[in-house]
Amino acid sequence: MREFALYLGCTTPVRLPQYEASVKAVLEKFGIELTTMKDANCCGAQYVESLSRPAFAALSGRILALAEREGLDILAICGACSGSLKTVKHELDSDRYLRSEVNDLLKDEDLEYTGNVHVKHLLQIFQEDIGYNAIEEAIVRPYKGIRLAAHYGCHVTRPYEIVQVDDPENPTIIDRIIEIAGATAVDYVGKTRCCGGPMLAVDEPVANKIGMEKIENLQNVGVQGLVTACVFCEIQLTQVQFGEGLDPKNRVPVLSLPQFLGPAIGIDMNALGTYLNKIPPDNIFASLAEAK
Amino acid sequence: MVETKGELKQPSLHHPSSDFSEEIANEPGGEDITKCIQCGMCTASCLVAKYTDRYRPRRLIQKILLGKREEVLNSELPWLCMTCRLCEERCQEGVSLPEIFGAVRKIAAREGKIPNVFKSTASLVLKDGWMLKDTYTDFIEDDRDDLGLDTDLNWDDDFVKKIKKKYFKEDKTR
Repeated sequence: MREFALYLGCTTPVRLPQYEASVKAVLEKFGIELTTMKDANCCGAQYVESLSRPAFAALSGRILALAEREGLDILAICGACSGSLKTVKHELDSDRYLRSEVNDLLKDEDLEYTGNVHVKHLLQIFQEDIGYNAIEEAIVRPYKGIRLAAHYGCHVTRPYEIVQVDDPENPTIIDRIIEIAGATAVDYVGKTRCCGGPMLAVDEPVANKIGMEKIENLQNVGVQGLVTACVFCEIQLTQVQFGEGLDPKNRVPVLSLPQFLGPAIGIDMNALGTYLNKIPPDNIFASLAEAK
Repeated sequence: MVETKGELKQPSLHHPSSDFSEEIANEPGGEDITKCIQCGMCTASCLVAKYTDRYRPRRLIQKILLGKREEVLNSELPWLCMTCRLCEERCQEGVSLPEIFGAVRKIAAREGKIPNVFKSTASLVLKDGWMLKDTYTDFIEDDRDDLGLDTDLNWDDDFVKKIKKKYFKEDKTR
């Protein structure tokens, strides 16, 4: 089966290692081979990106070139990273001046971006490389009687012209996998709205209000958990629920798609690092069928 | 009516133009600024606007069209866009505000007008090669070890120095 260069990004390995572990465990189970990239750098999202187009292109361009040297396509598991890498690939593919400027900087390391590398976000691996049929066949402990909602992440699905993931206004990949695993996928107001994560360092109170609006919309439809596919979204939508004056009883557990899917395909809970989740998702896992 | 570049530059009711909007249009990402019809779909879609009165994306575009260069470049407002692209998805005229504000940010950055959080975070990335070196504690290393993950994160901090030297030689990111 397929092999990918896994680009972890800055945030996952430090702030959400259980996401990294569960991605590896689940994809391995489906026969996808992952090689974690070494000697990489930050993709430049948001901060360097805002200040200089060529500097941003160089940072993400180097990551593209590192994977190209290994002859592997890239799997990015963070919305910001996958968005940056795809955007810069698009720019380098359409602007030869920018490409030669970046390649000039890469020369010393014997690196070159030629365009022979593709970038996928985790959701694409599930949809395109594994496929819904194989996921269905792999379910050994289906969920039963649990209502879950999906949050996709703005940079995962937009702009469609560049990222090519799902439908930007009506995404369905996570919902379909929730259903395939036996749970009920629940729609809610503002499903495609932002988690507020990019605002956190800029204006925290506004970021928290944006995140809490989503949580309240989830509480209004009565779900037992939220399934995500971006490290920033997961961290942001978790931390907003620890704000002052909020009743801990009302917290909605947030977990990543591989953490959700893992137990249903027979992966040990410890390998998925669910014990590290700040809002314990125990009630979700309690609805799993007994192991056969 | 056939729209040519020349016609778009003419002042008219539907295509207000200014030196500043032309400057934005010449910056990558800013090309579509003059397509804006000021309908306000962007502000209606914007979550930042919903929770802070100071941010109104339509009004910010209007200020660019009207040529209020210094006011826009000195303002924090173009830096408040989360780039969630909901407005872009919904704009019927194909205007991308995150791209336009991205162009504004780059012009502002060239003139040294960078909000502190952008300056300090970019500076960190250009020093360490990644964002969270100082956050990576022994405790997290233990968590990674327990999960069977590599505790050496293998970040490269040489290339960023080259980038900093070439594109940020002034102390704009200090």
